[in-house]
Amino acid sequence: MAISSVIIALVLGVGFGFSLNKAGLTSYNNIANQFRFTDMTILKYMMTAIVTAMIGLYIFRGLGWVTFPTVPATYIVGNLIGGLIFGVGMAGAGY
Amino acid sequence: MNQIKAYVSQKTWSPYLAGILLGIVGLLTVLLVNTLLGASGAFESIVGLIGKKIAPSLFNNIYWGVEGGRALPIIRPEITWAVILLVGIFFGGTLGALSSRTFKFRFNDDAQWKRIIGPQPWKRWVIGFIGAIFVQYGAGIAGGCTSGLAISGGMLFVPAAFLFMAGFMITGVITALIVYRKRY
Repeated sequence: MAISSVIIALVLGVGFGFSLNKAGLTSYNNIANQFRFTDMTILKYMMTAIVTAMIGLYIFRGLGWVTFPTVPATYIVGNLIGGLIFGVGMAGAGY
Repeated sequence: MNQIKAYVSQKTWSPYLAGILLGIVGLLTVLLVNTLLGASGAFESIVGLIGKKIAPSLFNNIYWGVEGGRALPIIRPEITWAVILLVGIFFGGTLGALSSRTFKFRFNDDAQWKRIIGPQPWKRWVIGFIGAIFVQYGAGIAGGCTSGLAISGGMLFVPAAFLFMAGFMITGVITALIVYRKRY
């Protein structure tokens, strides 16, 4: 791997970890309370991130700056069952 | 300037602002490396890398790649871009905690966890370990975790992302109901 892509990965990773920490998603109560609907941080955070990236991506594609990468495959049963299993761990342990 | 500094060093930001930061990171990932942010695949790559060293026959399958096989492995057992990203995530989280001066080694100091499940650190570790198995196994089946599938997929309007989110909300609420019962 080229050194430049290592640096890019590290910088983007730091940005990712920093934003997770500042959203408070590194603590148990914020994750657990989402599933009790007493704290909507996760949904606000995730939806804002999705919308921000979405707007940028479609603008950039319109300008011809990016081509979309391979998207995660959709296989209804797998995605849904995976999500169902994931939820148990997410709410139980608070990740 | 001082106001900005004071805001940055707050323990938590507005989730909207933190979300915008993540959105920009996700956008830059596509722009700079033409890939998607993801964390769970990196763990699988590390496991594959170790597994291929200590139990090659067990790990010689279509998931991590068959020796001399033509099909590409689902998870490449090597130090991938995502593994380095994961290292960055670790340091980013550390930086966030340092900036708000909340950095500290903790074993179990979440007030809510103590009240509901108990103050013993071993309970936190055991439940954390079992929970992590569920999380990683679920992410493996679904093809990504909250970052790689829900957020990265969501920003590309992939149906899988929304199926996955629906899935984890359903069982998440059920799990919380079971854990909290009357205190839900």
